Amino acid sequence: MEASITLKKVGKLVRDKTVLAGLSFGVERGSLVAIVGENDSGKSVLLKLLSGYENPNYGQVFIHGLDMQKRRKETRNLIGYVPYESNLDPWLTLKQNILFNANLYGIDSVKAIERINYYSSLLNLKKSLNEFSYRASGGEQKKAMLIRSLIHDPDILIMDEPTAFMDAESIRLTWDLLKDLKGEKSIIYVSNSLSEIEQAHDRILVFNEGRILMDGHLDKLLESTMDYHQFQIEFEDLSIDLYNKLKKIVTVVSPNKLDNTFHFYGRNRGVFFDVVREASNNMMVNLEVKNLGLRDLLDSEFAGKGLD
Amino acid sequence: MIGSPLKNIIRYSISGVPYDIWSFPGLIFILGSIVIFPPLYREFFDLRIHGKSLVNIALTPHSKTKIIFSNLVVAIVETIIISILSGIIYTIFIEISFSLLNLLFFLSALILYLFLIGNLFITILLVIDTLSTVLLTISIIFLINIFGNGFIIETSFFPNELGELLALQPLSLPFQLYQTFNSIGIINFEFFLSLFPIVYLWILLNSFLLKRKMLQ
Repeated sequence: MEASITLKKVGKLVRDKTVLAGLSFGVERGSLVAIVGENDSGKSVLLKLLSGYENPNYGQVFIHGLDMQKRRKETRNLIGYVPYESNLDPWLTLKQNILFNANLYGIDSVKAIERINYYSSLLNLKKSLNEFSYRASGGEQKKAMLIRSLIHDPDILIMDEPTAFMDAESIRLTWDLLKDLKGEKSIIYVSNSLSEIEQAHDRILVFNEGRILMDGHLDKLLESTMDYHQFQIEFEDLSIDLYNKLKKIVTVVSPNKLDNTFHFYGRNRGVFFDVVREASNNMMVNLEVKNLGLRDLLDSEFAGKGLD
Repeated sequence: MIGSPLKNIIRYSISGVPYDIWSFPGLIFILGSIVIFPPLYREFFDLRIHGKSLVNIALTPHSKTKIIFSNLVVAIVETIIISILSGIIYTIFIEISFSLLNLLFFLSALILYLFLIGNLFITILLVIDTLSTVLLTISIIFLINIFGNGFIIETSFFPNELGELLALQPLSLPFQLYQTFNSIGIINFEFFLSLFPIVYLWILLNSFLLKRKMLQ
């Protein structure tokens, strides 16, 4: 498949601190790529580089094969960017903000109005379009920014927390729209909502200290953890002594105590019986066994060392 | 507020024109300097510092030079409209007549001046990051502008060398050119045309500053 975005040994320094170090990867056209990682891991800086908001200190970013720094004008027409916080002009209405951007990209006003009507009806924003943006809620501003980024029909959509500040219904409508756009546009987004990422991605990039730690579809990323399960046993009283005793069981991985609940991972269900045997003299209130998800994958212990 | 008391101190200009008539163009220039500041402050300080729309504009396929130039033009158009309106109101109180040529040259000089002062404001707004320092600097510039550019006190009233220096500095030149044309009907084209490259280079400098400020 053709590459939409290609990064070649891209590095970025912020006040002498290396935020991105020699990053190289490509994004296929029409794919939906989610970026996750801890705070300050370089995700937002990466989005700023991809959107053209900032330039890398070294390395190159190619958009549809065009060098972003050398072919600025062409590449900017191909990108739509939705930042995390609102950057709408507070003294213009949401509609005026979007139309202003349409003018900047030289979009015919009839076409712009058509697109505004189309997207605002999909996102249920029609009623609020004539509100001054400083009066609109955070979710409405975010939706207006999404429409604004789509007004020039870009091939690539870059979003920092696409559903931030939105209510449940707005989140659903936004994802419906983004899933519709997938295939037609390459979508790259950063999110801290792991449940959203689990449901909407072709590929997940896990970032840590400016490097890609994991890269692939969730199923592929979880492949190495297939044998693993997460267990939760709630005791009537989980004393420190008992917790320390259970922690020492060799087959128990990444144990945790939360009130009277003992949380741990294990390679197979047999680990569970090792724990039950050890705690047989204590009253157990509840038991739970689950398969691993993205949250477990990102757990610092796993993300740092891997399950094996 | 400026013209009324001063006409009781300075009754005539050096060329013998009644002070309230002589000071009319200068007052419009002062008004222009004040009116052009808010839109530039909004675009290049407030919206930049708070990460608002200027960031979004900078992401569109337009060069920084174009962004600076367009913002200047918009601010100048607003200022010219307000200046013309206030000029009309002023003529209710004093009797002034303008020939068409005089009016056209006055507007050309005013536009050139607004390009220069607008560029100066943009430079200050891009270089300084704190509001208090911006306001202090702008206040000082306003004071120098009012008294040092010959708008209400002719530069000939200053000691010779200082007067010449003030009359030849770029911000003062458009007004001096207009007053020379107004009193003796001569346009110094050398000086007039020399202001165009200054405006152009200043726009380039500001676009460089904007680029640096936005880390692009």
